[in-house]
Amino acid sequence: MERLVKCYGTFTAVDGISLQVREGEFFGFLGPNGAGKTTTINAIAGLAHKSGGRIAVFGHDNERDWRRARRLVGLSPQEYNFDRYLSLRDVLIFAAGYYGARGKAVAERADMLLDRFGLTPHAHREYTRISGGQKRRLSLARALIHEPRLLILDEPTAGVDVELRLELWQWLRELNREGLTIFLTTHYLEEAEKLCRRIAIIRGGKIVTEKPTEELLAAGESLQDVFLELTRN
Amino acid sequence: MIWPPIITTLLYVFVFGLALGSRIPTVQGVTYAQFLIPGLIVLQVIDASYGECSSSLFQGRFMNSIQELLIAPMSAAEIVAGFILGSLARALLIAGLITALGILLVHSVPRDWTLYLIVIALVSVLFSSLGLIFGLVAEKFDHIAILTTFVITPLTFVGGVFTSAKMLPPTLRNLELFNPIFYTIDAFRRSYTGESDLAPAFSLAMIALLTAVALGIALRLTATGYKLRT
Repeated sequence: MERLVKCYGTFTAVDGISLQVREGEFFGFLGPNGAGKTTTINAIAGLAHKSGGRIAVFGHDNERDWRRARRLVGLSPQEYNFDRYLSLRDVLIFAAGYYGARGKAVAERADMLLDRFGLTPHAHREYTRISGGQKRRLSLARALIHEPRLLILDEPTAGVDVELRLELWQWLRELNREGLTIFLTTHYLEEAEKLCRRIAIIRGGKIVTEKPTEELLAAGESLQDVFLELTRN
Repeated sequence: MIWPPIITTLLYVFVFGLALGSRIPTVQGVTYAQFLIPGLIVLQVIDASYGECSSSLFQGRFMNSIQELLIAPMSAAEIVAGFILGSLARALLIAGLITALGILLVHSVPRDWTLYLIVIALVSVLFSSLGLIFGLVAEKFDHIAILTTFVITPLTFVGGVFTSAKMLPPTLRNLELFNPIFYTIDAFRRSYTGESDLAPAFSLAMIALLTAVALGIALRLTATGYKLRT
């Protein structure tokens, strides 16, 4: 993304940020509440109109070549946004349909993802009848149903217990090893430290640093210290 | 649910058609109960189309599930088409069931199936488009009901469901021409009775014009992301 700007009236939520996430990278995008993380994600995914700048997904401009760009992106949003009347399996099959996929292959992929994320026993339950942790896993499965090349995760471990968090980390590492590019926002700095190869920190809509994780921690400080130093008023 | 409109129609047929209708002489060459059926079909098609689109879209916005569509590689026209085709399917199913009831209960059979299908399709697309517009504009569920309560229902009731324009005094008959629902019921009733108050081509042209305007607005609002994208 180049010089991305997003304004809401007179308020500038994202102020000319430029970032490049490399293919196959596990990229962390950190910042305090209201820094512009979700706005940036929404601009990449097409949920927010840009006020300025350019975003390209694997070379496809997300405005001029929006169909191809969107096909390559899978989004697991911060808030659950499932259709409450669908079963878990149907959530996945319907989502695949929105990307033009249908038939036996979709049903097989849905079953594979339900199995991978331990949701097979609940496949025919309505989403309102499953736990918060299961909803997180479903959100991840849905983001992957159309085989995206870029997975955007907006606080994927918010509100989940330690056991599931570790399990999610394991799945995310596996997905990244399989070649999936991951763009992660999180408030758990330990999570970013352990998973991400490169980290950018945003504050007040501007990028205050963007470095490989090792370089960011080179001075022997913890990520928390670095984060607080860069984001404190 | 498709049963509530069927039960409502049954009530109308029994109360107005069979009970009160026995005291009314023939209208447009058919019994009053037979005269009622086409108007009741249009009434339910309007209700089903508007309700389906407005509530589906509003719920999607309310629960954020609309985001699934907005991040997918689908154009505004494809999204609008999806909502409208869903409503049209529902409207056709309800119209078909009421038609079957009309045949069974009062021997009311459509004579012109082409006109029948054209009017149902146009009316459904028109009110689905209005449903999309109100589903986008509404801030609360109550706002969706405003159009139904204060515009659609009153205009439908005075638009010829229960009376022919020829039964009205001249002033009211002229006022009917400003009621868009009058054109839909008048054209649709012709597919049953072979008679109408206005020339069917004129009524169809009016409905098509209104449909084009409403569809255009719904498409424009969706394409600009009005209350959908920030």
